[in-house]
Amino acid sequence: MNPAQVLLFAVGGLSNAAYLFIVAAGLSLVFGALRVINMAHGSLYMIAAFVTVVVAEKLGIALGFWGGLVAALILTGVVGAVIEVVVLRRVYREAHLVQLLGTYAVTLIIAGLVRIVFGPNYRTMKVPALFSGSLSLAGFSYSVYSLFMILAAILIAAGVYLMLYRTALGRNIRAAVSDPELLSASGIDVARLFTTVFVIGACLAALGGVIVAPSQAVLSSMDTDVLVLAFAISVIGGLGSILGSLVGSVIVGEVYSFGLQNQYTNQFALAFVFLIMAAVLIIRPWGLFGTPEQ
Amino acid sequence: MFIAFVLLIPPLAGLHELANPDISAKFEIFLATSAVVLALWAISYNLMLGYAGMVSFAHAAYYGVGAYTVALLFQRFHVPVLAGLALAPLVAAVFGLVTGLAALRAVRLYFSLLTLAISQVLFSIAFGWYAVTSGDNGIHGLDVPKQLTDFTVLYYFVSAVVGISLVLMFALTRSPFGAALAAIRENRERARAIGINVKAYELAVFTIAATFAGVAGGLFALFQQEAFPEMLYWTQNAQPVVVALLGGTGTFLGPAIGALVYTLLDNLLSKNFPYQFDVLLGAIVLGVVLVVPGGFSALPELFTTLRTRFRHEPEPGEIESGGESIERADVGKVVRIEAVQADPAWIERGEPLLVVENLSRSFGGLRAVQNVDLVVHAGDRHAIIGPNGAGKSTLFNLITGRLKPSAGRVLFAGRDITGHPPHTIAKAGIGRAFQITTIFPKLTVLQNLQYSMLAHRGRTVRPFGRADRMFREDAMQLLEAVGLDRYATLPAGQLSHGDQRAIEIAISLALGSRLVLLDEPTAGMSPFETGKAMELVRRVAQEKHLTLLFCEHDMEVVFGTARTVTVMHQGRVLTEGTPEEVRANLDVQKVYLGELEAEAVV
Repeated sequence: MNPAQVLLFAVGGLSNAAYLFIVAAGLSLVFGALRVINMAHGSLYMIAAFVTVVVAEKLGIALGFWGGLVAALILTGVVGAVIEVVVLRRVYREAHLVQLLGTYAVTLIIAGLVRIVFGPNYRTMKVPALFSGSLSLAGFSYSVYSLFMILAAILIAAGVYLMLYRTALGRNIRAAVSDPELLSASGIDVARLFTTVFVIGACLAALGGVIVAPSQAVLSSMDTDVLVLAFAISVIGGLGSILGSLVGSVIVGEVYSFGLQNQYTNQFALAFVFLIMAAVLIIRPWGLFGTPEQ
Repeated sequence: MFIAFVLLIPPLAGLHELANPDISAKFEIFLATSAVVLALWAISYNLMLGYAGMVSFAHAAYYGVGAYTVALLFQRFHVPVLAGLALAPLVAAVFGLVTGLAALRAVRLYFSLLTLAISQVLFSIAFGWYAVTSGDNGIHGLDVPKQLTDFTVLYYFVSAVVGISLVLMFALTRSPFGAALAAIRENRERARAIGINVKAYELAVFTIAATFAGVAGGLFALFQQEAFPEMLYWTQNAQPVVVALLGGTGTFLGPAIGALVYTLLDNLLSKNFPYQFDVLLGAIVLGVVLVVPGGFSALPELFTTLRTRFRHEPEPGEIESGGESIERADVGKVVRIEAVQADPAWIERGEPLLVVENLSRSFGGLRAVQNVDLVVHAGDRHAIIGPNGAGKSTLFNLITGRLKPSAGRVLFAGRDITGHPPHTIAKAGIGRAFQITTIFPKLTVLQNLQYSMLAHRGRTVRPFGRADRMFREDAMQLLEAVGLDRYATLPAGQLSHGDQRAIEIAISLALGSRLVLLDEPTAGMSPFETGKAMELVRRVAQEKHLTLLFCEHDMEVVFGTARTVTVMHQGRVLTEGTPEEVRANLDVQKVYLGELEAEAVV
């Protein structure tokens, strides 16, 4: 493997990491503040991807991508709010078993509905003209869209950081992460805060789904496929930590990308990801950047 | 009735075909076979979910391992399918044990996520290791043994295997082993404190569940004649979970009913409305989680509740206990009960039983316990007092193994127990009543005591016999003596606060430990109850050779009960002596006066 190849695979890994980070950050944010693992997170991502493809089909690719972005954010935001109010509010105090099952039920419902509405077949869409084409470097070509995905992920990471550390909302979210009881005693409308956090998480899932739509086939099994990777990332980085999601997604993206390149490991590229996840859980259950639970 | 129904399916299907030639009896029998296998799979899942309160994402993987065992042995080594079926549970058990050892390094949510990772690794191997497993093609075309080619015979054979597995699992759930699982599900903390090695039992039930999932997977390979990698994918766990929830996780055969309903729904809907079927399943799971936590088997109860509400009949309501049980306690009776008896102490009265040397523990910068030396003599009644934050509860947690000390040693009956896990310390002879009531809320009051006696005497390793018949007399006697017998069959969590405190004390006595630690035993009791409870504890300790170590805020209780008093302040031992000496100590007065002044200023 020469340096130019390494660069190629590394950039490929980063573009995987890009959309995975956006999705995992939402999962981790929701877990940090609400202490709930949202099994339906991948479903929100899938809804957004399908909505983007359909809007792009209707409006044409140039306008469709951005129209899809807006439509997907609005729709998943609303669906997220409904899930929070109807399901999660009733299970916050329950054992994590009930929370897993409750959000899992939502996954089943959304999976069925997506197949009813959009049909069982996979869909594809073109890359918007703005990001089509490729750049050539050291004998290999890099698609502009994958570079755009990396840039988008960096912007979103910066946005989430600013939201958490520079706004009143972010301050409340961080308070909820560190001490939920104190927060409810401090006069903040916790119910509204939780709904807001969940909607933000849903919108991050949606952003991931929109960005991934032009780069992959949009399938009705993409909900659980991305969910299990988002779990791996959040666990490796530490549930509840956005920085952890960033590092975790780079690890997962790169391991997968490099694992695929070797003829002996390419069939087990995913197994490596989960072996790392298992190792982290055994040695440091709270992840690389998380904090141990009391 | 259930057995009769299972036996009658083939003739009924035959009649159905006679009456309506459009219907294939073969197909109905085939469906029944798959329902029976699904029932086994779901019930084995429920051993974890319903009996031990564990959510695993790896159960489908062991089901797949069972199927692949049969398929690979047949394809690679021409091992007959029935021989493969006999090996399937063993192979699944090995996988369950090895992966379970890893999975149980984590708890609760992290355990679930770890099983998810394990399941995905196993799936990747089945999917990716093309040379051995044929990858995504799976393995097809297994030979069914000649004797089983007939659908009806195959059905009866599968049912018989499932039947035997269910009988074994049922026996397990009622055995002392099952009692330990119930205890863990209800309250891990208390389970440890009565001497249950929580991790070991969880590993055991995880492995046993994997074993039976292996049987189910092997049967799947037998009647479907194939194995494929998707069987191991983590989302496949939805099936046993949904089935168990449908039927109810609280009853043994509930998931079997769930399997029947699931198979019928699946057959009715999934051909024409496959996606609607998903939505329906999701709605059912959501309904069960949010509205009917008991599943179908709890529907009659739900119906009764709804009817009473609809007719505006007064609801029966939760049966409230008055909280005055302890007032009726008959101390003389307790003293006569032989079950409550410390092990014949080889240490003479007055010899040191518990020795704490230079014990320290800090949390971050806070030194909760600093260089504490303490000797508790056999047969003594030793109180630890001190203002809030003096480190009393931390000291108790260090002695009982709930916290690990940063420095120092704890010796019990001459043995170094520093840093040992809570269950071995409990087994060694230190019983405990917690400051915050720590009982098994959904078990009956009687079971609370029975299971504590079982666990402490090391009986819960037995996978046979009936836990509810063991120590029944002893537990009942103790309940009568402490005035709780009227509530023996009620779930302990329904009793009032005072009565739950009485259960807490009764559990710590029922263990028959040589040393009993009581952390504010009478917190929240009325003065009369307090007096009675302490009289009980004092007399039992005296007659049964128990040694008491307790903390308490109520000075009257302390000076009326203790023969030795240790005063702690800011994590250190301030002084120690007889009640009279301590009362006369100026430093002690200062500490308590200082405390009072501080409170007055606030």
